[in-house]
Amino acid sequence: MKREEKRALTIGHLYPDLLNLYGDRGNIACLMKRCLWRGIEAKTVEFESEDSVDFSRLDIVLLGGGSDREQMLVCEKLKRIRENFQKYVESGGVVLAVCGGYQLLGKYYNTREGVIEGLNLVDLYTEQGEGRLIDNIVLQSPLCKMPVVGFENHGGRTHIQGNKPFGKVLYGSGNDGKSGYEGVIYKNVIGTYLHGPLLPKNPQICDYLLKKALERKYGDGTLAPLDDKQEREANAYMVKRLLK
Amino acid sequence: MKVRKVLAVWTAKAACAACKYMGRQGVTWAGKLALLIYPPILRELALEVRKKIFIVCGTNGKTTTNNLLCSALEAEGEKVVCNRTGSNMINGVAAAFALAADLGGRLDADYACIEVDEASTRHVFPHFHPDYMLLTNLFRDQLDRYGEIDMTMEILKEVMDSAPEMEVIVNGDDALSAFLSMECRNPWVTYGIGEQSAKSDDREIREGRFCRRCGARLAYRFYHYSQLGDYACPKCGFSRPSLDYNAREVKVGDQISFRVGAAHIVANYRGFYNVYNILAAYAAGKCAGLSLEHFNQMLKDFHPENGRMESFRIRDTAIVLNLAKNPAGFNQNIAVVMTDERVKDLIIVINDNDQDGTDVSWLWDVDFDKFSGDQIHSITVSGIRCQDMRLRLKYADIPSILEADVESAIWGRVVDGCGNLYVLVNYTALFSTRNILKRLEGEKS
Repeated sequence: MKREEKRALTIGHLYPDLLNLYGDRGNIACLMKRCLWRGIEAKTVEFESEDSVDFSRLDIVLLGGGSDREQMLVCEKLKRIRENFQKYVESGGVVLAVCGGYQLLGKYYNTREGVIEGLNLVDLYTEQGEGRLIDNIVLQSPLCKMPVVGFENHGGRTHIQGNKPFGKVLYGSGNDGKSGYEGVIYKNVIGTYLHGPLLPKNPQICDYLLKKALERKYGDGTLAPLDDKQEREANAYMVKRLLK
Repeated sequence: MKVRKVLAVWTAKAACAACKYMGRQGVTWAGKLALLIYPPILRELALEVRKKIFIVCGTNGKTTTNNLLCSALEAEGEKVVCNRTGSNMINGVAAAFALAADLGGRLDADYACIEVDEASTRHVFPHFHPDYMLLTNLFRDQLDRYGEIDMTMEILKEVMDSAPEMEVIVNGDDALSAFLSMECRNPWVTYGIGEQSAKSDDREIREGRFCRRCGARLAYRFYHYSQLGDYACPKCGFSRPSLDYNAREVKVGDQISFRVGAAHIVANYRGFYNVYNILAAYAAGKCAGLSLEHFNQMLKDFHPENGRMESFRIRDTAIVLNLAKNPAGFNQNIAVVMTDERVKDLIIVINDNDQDGTDVSWLWDVDFDKFSGDQIHSITVSGIRCQDMRLRLKYADIPSILEADVESAIWGRVVDGCGNLYVLVNYTALFSTRNILKRLEGEKS
């Protein structure tokens, strides 16, 4: 039973000029292709640090990672969009914030060079710790059946207060290397340290974001199935290697 | 005669010979043993270099530039110590000197040309201070190992400060490298490509788009590739320095040619990035006061046997092997492959061993979508992380063949390919793939 597809999504990529580390483009490519392969129209709008952002036009917002120095630069720009960003989040807007972007969701990131003020969209904060947590990582997330695989590389230790984590750590360090949890889920926001990039090897997370965005915009989040054999194999290879 | 020094040299030579016999690259091991037996060996042998010591640093182009420089000096009749194989951490550097010493533990060399991994400069500088540092460029590379570029820059600044008499020969087209030289007290000279010669792709990943000095967005008159180009900060005035060695009339195709000063340089290489490698070696030689009369002849005779655009022939298949280990390098590789207009097969080998960087996210920063169209007969993905590579291509709508075993992948294309094969590999896959190609080439017929 095939129905005519008329849905369309707009992805907003925030500050790719400053926050573009670690293959963020892979997350965009994944969101885009998994729409297009299903006949859902998709486009990406890039907002550079001088641009103003009209959140009412956006269905998914991606906030990527950057170096500490670049985060310091970006945090000034973020103040201008904070209020509208918050309205977007509180009204169920979909956000994927990775690494530096994840830290910026919170109140602050306390580094040795100074405090980087965050967007304060989610009740969490980050403190710089001793050494960086660098390795492959595997999670079990309540959002999907498949384990979530990725790579983490962060000096910050993030404390998510009473919020729900993105996943339980099966291999790797996670938020602070101690709690056994990684990332945060708040409304339709996912914040995580996982790059790799996150979405291609975890297609169910990508589809979760698409579904939420379609539900919010059309009240209809149904997604046609795709052939994810290659995605599953790439995911399974890492899970097997790390958890053996 | 220092017994321990001699013993260290002998042991290094024996270790290296043993490894060669077993078909392994034993340079690192040889250096490690030499330093263990006689810790001052590197310092003492470096002091025996009669004229100057060059080190070559920077993300891409170190090995080619360093080897070109070494050959250029040799072409002028000088005796040179060089770590030609590209073993560029402290053990590899120590090995270069120990293996060049004679059996009495003495070194007979006019110059040393040593490439040094940026992070390893910290370990090398306590042994000796080079007279010149050639700084090629700074791109994102192995973020898991080196952290962000900022950290690499901090390390380089630290060692430059520790050797204030060292002259820095820097790529002025790279805002990051140029900034570093300006920040330090070292004397510096620049090389670069003054005018635009090819159109750069707007989607390419670029580093350091913001002024290191004041944080404002840099304005570019043009890009050559990645962030290399002509930049200026509209706010604080930081800008591309004037170029002491300016490549003019740059032509890149089946061969490279350009003018610098009064010289006209021609080389049978492909790849725009090789303009920088050749120019850097030329600038370094000139800085040290050499005439470089035999530079063009040297280029003609220069056949790198280290997997940098190295050619093989197996049965009727012509094969080119090239190293591609980070986005900037890979994008340059893609450009070279696509200038060959004939139909071709491709094998991409991706490993994630420690020396490669265990994080393969960088694959998504490479513009693989250029590998589409009729020119591409097939793409085979291989190596430890072939699954990730296949997925990367899938999301560029490019189908690929998965064959984790490199030898099977090569053999498959030799038997069933179009006769024109490019093998692009990252770091730890280079040596093993090259061995396979050499063996298959020997077994042909």
